[in-house]
Amino acid sequence: MIFRADPDLVQFVREEIAPEGSEFKPLRENRVAVKVDLGLLDKLADRFVHKYGARLIHATAVDLDVLGFEVVHIYDFSKTKERLVVLLEASMSKEDPVVPSIAKVTWQASWAEREMMELLGIRFLGTPDYRHQFLPYEWPNPVEGGVSGGQMPGLGEEIDVKPSPQEMWIPLGISPKQAYSTLIPIGPYHPGVIEGQIVYVKVEGEEVVSADIKTGFHHRGIQKLIERRGYSKGVFTSERVCGICSAAHGLAYVTAVENLYESEIPDRAAYIRTLLVELNRAHSHLLWIGVVADVIGWKTGFMITWGLRERVMDIIESITGNRVNYGIWRIGGVSRDVSNELALKASAALKGLKDECSKLLLLVADHPVVKSRLVGVGPLSYSEAFEGGAVGPVARASNWKIDVRVDNPPHAMYDQKVISWQVITDDHCDTYGRTLVRVKELLVSLEIIMQCLDYLAKTSGEIRVKQKVIPVNSEGVGLNEAPRGELTYFMRASEYDQNLPQAIRIRTPSYRNNAIIPKMLVGSNLADVPVIMGSTDQCLACTDRVEIIDAKVETKKSILWDELVALSRKRRGREF
Amino acid sequence: MADPVITTIEIILIIPVALILGVLFLFLFRKLNARFQWRVGPVIRMYSDLAPLIGKTRIWQPLYDILKLFGKDTIITDVAHRRLFMYSPYFSLLFAIAAAFFIPFPGMELLSSVPYSLVIASYLIISSILFTILGPVASGSPWGAIGARREVELFLVSELSFVLSIFSIALSSGTLVISEIADRGWSAPSILLSLTSGLLLFVAMLGKLHIKPFDMPEAEAEIVAGPYTEYSGKLLGIYFLSKTFLTYVLVALFIALILPPVSTSIFWLPAWAVAATALVFLLTVVQVLNPRYRINNALYWYVKVVIPVGLVSFIIAFFIRVVV
Repeated sequence: MIFRADPDLVQFVREEIAPEGSEFKPLRENRVAVKVDLGLLDKLADRFVHKYGARLIHATAVDLDVLGFEVVHIYDFSKTKERLVVLLEASMSKEDPVVPSIAKVTWQASWAEREMMELLGIRFLGTPDYRHQFLPYEWPNPVEGGVSGGQMPGLGEEIDVKPSPQEMWIPLGISPKQAYSTLIPIGPYHPGVIEGQIVYVKVEGEEVVSADIKTGFHHRGIQKLIERRGYSKGVFTSERVCGICSAAHGLAYVTAVENLYESEIPDRAAYIRTLLVELNRAHSHLLWIGVVADVIGWKTGFMITWGLRERVMDIIESITGNRVNYGIWRIGGVSRDVSNELALKASAALKGLKDECSKLLLLVADHPVVKSRLVGVGPLSYSEAFEGGAVGPVARASNWKIDVRVDNPPHAMYDQKVISWQVITDDHCDTYGRTLVRVKELLVSLEIIMQCLDYLAKTSGEIRVKQKVIPVNSEGVGLNEAPRGELTYFMRASEYDQNLPQAIRIRTPSYRNNAIIPKMLVGSNLADVPVIMGSTDQCLACTDRVEIIDAKVETKKSILWDELVALSRKRRGREF
Repeated sequence: MADPVITTIEIILIIPVALILGVLFLFLFRKLNARFQWRVGPVIRMYSDLAPLIGKTRIWQPLYDILKLFGKDTIITDVAHRRLFMYSPYFSLLFAIAAAFFIPFPGMELLSSVPYSLVIASYLIISSILFTILGPVASGSPWGAIGARREVELFLVSELSFVLSIFSIALSSGTLVISEIADRGWSAPSILLSLTSGLLLFVAMLGKLHIKPFDMPEAEAEIVAGPYTEYSGKLLGIYFLSKTFLTYVLVALFIALILPPVSTSIFWLPAWAVAATALVFLLTVVQVLNPRYRINNALYWYVKVVIPVGLVSFIIAFFIRVVV
């Protein structure tokens, strides 16, 4: 598969989208960069969103050392023109970094702008929300030029949950005014959500009156880490952003790097990439169904789905040798082939699994108590999902047919003419819909996996092409449909060094979906709060971009690793 | 009324018996739960390589869990109402044990033949549960407060079911003495009554023992441990102990009221064991099959099921009383 620029799209951008007098730079594939004047950003955003129905993928800024900052807005035009991604770029000096805010035009930029304000010190004119994104709210002097404790507009409505220290821990009010509502902090560490975050939920009785989400407990600066390590080592670091969707991160990363130059990958590598990402999706969705079952108190469902997931994990282990971080992604292909015998074996192991997953669908979809807990919970209409910038299964459950694998496919085999699969949508617009979408997607994933394995069992060939020299000052966008939704890697090659990226920006799906959680929470029952939070399949590690360090378990008797593996295999009665 | 000396001996004897049976029921509950969920659960016969380290069996696992708590520090928060917080678990345990005195066990009549023993037993059970609400309210924790609130709501509806069940039986047999109810004869309508009021009592047990779908007071996903959030160490151990006794009490009461004359003579002991096992099995099945209800769903469900069944139960009881 060779990836080149599409002349059609370039012409479309030149004639229709690019404003007069702007600098214009076609990138590889369907990406086009347009350099504009700083003052035009908000007007263009308004035109893109309202005239062309464009969707903001991410807004970020790059530090260009002495040249100042460069703000980059990445738009997806797939509604108007098939497969078009436009990068709007505007540079400014470091002395007075002031940018017009686009959070009022499209709310999706809200978190991104807060992040830029915090991490780079850029000021935004007319931002509705000045609060810290990763640092605590109470951090002194929030943002230069910002207003301390500003209001956060939850998709057009005002949310006021700024607890005073006195208010925070009053369980049952003494005076009638205090007794009116109770503030419940869900987090930073809470059994309902495994990872660290705080959701301030104000309840009256059991009804949620207002809600606010605060993340930032995991931020370790993984983006900076990749910038220091170079392209080829970055593959492994990027996989460690998330322990569950590591394959999605690996693919998005290599897609971004391959997007920096005229790249090609062998067909077989494309199939292996698809196979791994879909296996990853299958186990992630099984994990999610288990988590939701656990959150609504259905331990049996939890155990059954996690039992099924273990079988997917075994297949992944037999293919890559690892369970969590596969480490087989390479720029220009993959590092490890799937032999014909292994493909057949994995295919046989998957056949039984598919039947059991179909049974699971029936079990989940028809259980009366499950339905009573999920139907109508956490409503999110199509317009709210679009405005708020939902991605992935959350958006698809609101009847929005958005899937990166179709719109802007990553460098893998997702051609619907070659592999038969379809995008799943649902019109329930609630947690039940999200559950159905995920269970059906799981079945679709298994179908894709079977087709990939069929191909791999019958053919053989190259799995990697040598990487070409990466041109300086080039830009790339890597998009991939992670299990939780659209995952974006923006990469800019350094001007001085051919091995180091100048900047890499990661926008994970949970970053978007977490931002709309407060909206879904308001008006719901306290018992449903964990369900709604869980329904976005939130991955806090992704949101804050963590590096997970696995501490070795200390044992009294020291057992060698091989011994431990052998013991575990013996007890499980398995070969691999 | 039996000989006071024998009764005293029986009362002393029933405490360990109730504890052991309660622990066994909880073990069975956990084991069946695990088997339904593709897990191993507490093992009956320990793996040979691990047996020298941790003993031959884990049947007493629920008891070990409680004993472990007695070896731990008890933390009492500053905001708690100290006296109520500390005494509530003890009162809860006391009333649960006292309830066991009024319910017959095969071969042991205990105090079940005193006048109004049914009313006394039901009040003791209520009191025991009441103190699992009062302690958490005194703890000063928001989770405890919400857990206790849910517990109150659940308690009210499950109590409705409980009362309708036991008093329709009392009406049919014309007495409020448990030993007389447990010794009543069988007839065609009384089988029907046992079915309806047995269902009601079973449903009440689900609420009182926090079996899914009615475990929302302890919903760990939303409110951590609910009422028990601030409890630790010995006080939590006492609460768990009281729950163990309550499990025994409810199972014994169910058998005494619904399945006469199983609780009367020592010769019925095997039948009692079978009935108790079956009851725990049924509770497990309900637990395994269901997620947790929302509290308003639970209230609605109770009212929807309990009132019609209770009405039918009372009509049958009235029929038995007047016609038969």
